[in-house]
Amino acid sequence: MPQHATLLTWGLWAAALLSATAAQAQVDTVRASTLPGRQVAEKAYNAGLTSFTAQNYAAALASFDQALVEKPDFAPAYANRAATQLALKNYPAAVADYDQALKLEPGAYAHYFGRAQAREAAGKAPEAEADYGEALRVNPAYAPAWYNRGVLRFEKGEYTAALTDFDGAVKADPAFTYAYHDRASTNLRLGNYAAAVPDYSRALELQPALLPALLNRAAAERHTGQLAEALRDYDAYLTQKTDNPIAYNNRGNARFEHKDYAGAVADYDRAIALKAAYAYAWNNRAAAELKLEHYAKADADATEALRLNPRYAEAFLNRGHAREMLRRADEACQDWHHAAALGLAVGNDYAAAAGCAGPAAEEATAE
Amino acid sequence: MLRAFIWFVLLSGGLAFGAQAQNVEFSKDQFAEKKQELKEALRELKAGDEAYQADPANYNAALPHYLAAQELNPDNAALNVKIGDCYLHSGTKSAALPFLKRAQALAPASTPRQHYLLARALHLNAKWAEAIKEYQQCTPGSSTKLAEGEAPITASDVANRIRECRNGQELAKHPVRVFIDNAGPEVNSPYSDYGPVVSADEATLLFTSRRPGGPNAPKDPNGDSYFEDIYQTAWAGKNWRPAATLGSPVNTDGHDATVGLAPDGQRLLVYVDKNNGDIYESGLKGTAWDKPQRLGARINSRYHESSAAYSYDGRYLYFVSDKPEGGHGGHDIYKVELDGTKPAENLGTTINTPYGEEAVFVMPDGKTMYFSSEGHNSMGGYDIFKSTLRNGQWTTPENLGWPINTPDDDVFFVASASGRHGYYSSDRPGGVGGKDIYRITFLGPEKPPLLSEESQLLASRLAPQPQTLLAPPVAVATAQVTILKGTVTDAASRQPLEANIDLIDNASGQTIATFHSNATSGKYLVSLPSGTNYGIVVRQEGYLFHSENFDLPATAAYAEVVKDVLLKKLEVGVVIVLNNIFFDTGKATLRPESTAELERLHKLLTEQPAIKLEMAGHTDNVGKPAANQDLSQRRAQAVVAYLTEHGIAASRLTAAGYGDTRPVVPNTTKGGRQLNRRTEFKVTGK
Repeated sequence: MPQHATLLTWGLWAAALLSATAAQAQVDTVRASTLPGRQVAEKAYNAGLTSFTAQNYAAALASFDQALVEKPDFAPAYANRAATQLALKNYPAAVADYDQALKLEPGAYAHYFGRAQAREAAGKAPEAEADYGEALRVNPAYAPAWYNRGVLRFEKGEYTAALTDFDGAVKADPAFTYAYHDRASTNLRLGNYAAAVPDYSRALELQPALLPALLNRAAAERHTGQLAEALRDYDAYLTQKTDNPIAYNNRGNARFEHKDYAGAVADYDRAIALKAAYAYAWNNRAAAELKLEHYAKADADATEALRLNPRYAEAFLNRGHAREMLRRADEACQDWHHAAALGLAVGNDYAAAAGCAGPAAEEATAE
Repeated sequence: MLRAFIWFVLLSGGLAFGAQAQNVEFSKDQFAEKKQELKEALRELKAGDEAYQADPANYNAALPHYLAAQELNPDNAALNVKIGDCYLHSGTKSAALPFLKRAQALAPASTPRQHYLLARALHLNAKWAEAIKEYQQCTPGSSTKLAEGEAPITASDVANRIRECRNGQELAKHPVRVFIDNAGPEVNSPYSDYGPVVSADEATLLFTSRRPGGPNAPKDPNGDSYFEDIYQTAWAGKNWRPAATLGSPVNTDGHDATVGLAPDGQRLLVYVDKNNGDIYESGLKGTAWDKPQRLGARINSRYHESSAAYSYDGRYLYFVSDKPEGGHGGHDIYKVELDGTKPAENLGTTINTPYGEEAVFVMPDGKTMYFSSEGHNSMGGYDIFKSTLRNGQWTTPENLGWPINTPDDDVFFVASASGRHGYYSSDRPGGVGGKDIYRITFLGPEKPPLLSEESQLLASRLAPQPQTLLAPPVAVATAQVTILKGTVTDAASRQPLEANIDLIDNASGQTIATFHSNATSGKYLVSLPSGTNYGIVVRQEGYLFHSENFDLPATAAYAEVVKDVLLKKLEVGVVIVLNNIFFDTGKATLRPESTAELERLHKLLTEQPAIKLEMAGHTDNVGKPAANQDLSQRRAQAVVAYLTEHGIAASRLTAAGYGDTRPVVPNTTKGGRQLNRRTEFKVTGK
């Protein structure tokens, strides 16, 4: 449309608009020019985005609702309303909106990715995995889709497939800290300990505040015989964060492996002080007390672990060891049999070697 | 004075504490106040010496006398050496150490024999490093003997002892996990009890004891114990029943000792001190053992056959003999088929060493043999070893390790069929008296405790990071417009004027629209959408035009500008600013956007043929004044040139360059400097 025509159009419109107030206005020659249309949907949509960014999800939802009332085929509004529903944990509504967005914009990887997130949050991991796959089919360069699918596969125990996904994430985004971290964790699960260490290191380079990487690298280092390095990592972690019983428990285990049993006991003490119901720490302290030949203490600690978790096979086994040394052979036999009944077959071997009678017939329970 | 006294006391005390213990002789000088006690002690010493110096020495007899003398004088080095020596030849060898150490403190060892005695005591107390040091100080000569009648101590003996200590050091680093429990008072007596043999199921235990067999039992003239007899007990579930003598016909007036028991407990091997020591066999008939029968000549010789064991199937007998033919030194272990005809076979050098082997025992599994040896890697005296039959060959014997084996003799080991328990005799603290029978419970290798831990392996599960993929904002057209409004009045009378307001696109020179100010109020309002370089011309007949420029880029936001316009009538002296004449920066070249303004000027000159104009150029104060003046002059001339080139007589036009000499506003701001950079004309005639 020629500019003059536009001006004319708007001029007429402006004149009509202003004629209603002509009695007050002394201006009788007014020419408006290129004033836009109302764009209510777009404005509401953008307002929704602003609200979303401000984490005012209720307002965002209202705005996206308004946008869709004004413009029912407004695909981005469906997508962003879906994201808002996701933020509000209304997962079915989020999935429904992403469905609608995908109908209007088939093949949009962002909608697949968003729906995958909503499905994952709703506990529908297989559907989520499929959607992440669709997102990657459309846009293989989108690192978060690789990463998120890798996480799902990791949690399913499909470590080789997870490794491939984390590889994809790192390739798509060489600065993807979490992808390095979780690839390392996958290698840890796969027993590729040597490969895990550099990935944890890379994650720490990218994000020094990612403290769990220190704990996990320490675990990998313990497996590769780098006990000194592992202890350094635990120390570094615990220097920065002193309220994590897991960290104390795991450093205790490293010290145990380092044959520093007194040091291990001190760490388990700290873990128990932080979390009195931490059965692992009680069991592990029992193990360290065994090494220190404090058999009565070991017996007491393992008993407490079993009080907290009556089906704790390792605690049964360790208590069996303690009771053997306390010359309570019959009780030791019972504990080893209980450990075996709970899955630690070696318990039966110990019992047999000690000349115990046959395995306990009843199901294992703590005493 | 006081200070000097304190120093004296301190020094005196220090000397007293630091001085070496003094050897005290049994003399009247030393015990002037205890003449009777001294007399008694000397008598004890003499009695002790008689037994000690006898050939052979009778240490057991000497020891009580020496201990009695020691009560009066514990600080006699020679007596302490003798007591230590007696203990070293007793059943409680480890008791020698404090006496020999005291002797060393009273008078440091000066002879190889003294060094050797102390080394032995240290050795027997598992003081490995100290023992080695003391052995190393012992360089025996040809006459170095422990006692008269004994073989001289040789350098080879010393080297062997040092080797044993080193074996002990190594073995003690990795103690075996066992419980060693005294068999209890039902089995053990205040006398020596040893040589246990046990049935495969551990239900029956037989052993040898030196306890008195009855109220009138005769003592062994070679010691203070009684003759060896065999005793039997049975397991009662928690402990052993009180042991009872086998009695006749197994036990005799002489030495009768257990040697071996068939796995089924039905046949007993007995050592009988006849023919220089032979092996006999007794069978269990019901509940009674029959009279032991001497085993054949393929087993017993004129030499010393000291122990034996059945094979698991009872076909073979393993036995120990010191017969020289076919032997490798000392006692050796042999194997013979009981019902065969072949002579006994020496087990070879894998098992037998140049030193003594003793107390053979074969497990019911048929392939595990235990025996005692002074050789291999013994840590002192006899140690118990284990060997396994693999592919018809016995494996290299393995020391059962510390604390089963000790620096003293560890012999007569048997095991239960399960291998869970072993039995042997040992002289260790806490016993009932003399050698006692102990049960070893093998705990096996250390049972590793199991640790638990958890990990936080997925970073996003631990610290989720938002990954929301939002669709981007959409473009919303906004009112990018400038509202120009104001009042048009007569410059002289200030009366409102109805003027034409031309909106010109300077880029094209086209008039976009023409508006009018209100005839009554003179007010006008013009909307100027962004994205255009506008020329605004306000004109009215009889007045000189007024031009404004609004160069609004596309991004220009909404704005309102109030501009009141004073239109001036055509009179000499009137000055009009030409706001829509543009030059290239720093030059006098007219830009194309100036065309519309120049055309308006040209039209004015054409419609008013009488007027004359001076074209004036002005600059801001940036730069040198001369340059500014020159530039303003050339720009004025450029306008004049345009007009003359378009038909206006040059006589009607003059050009003046004023540089920065006539600012309309101060040059202190950017806006001010922009207003001062201008082209204007002044009416110079009409």
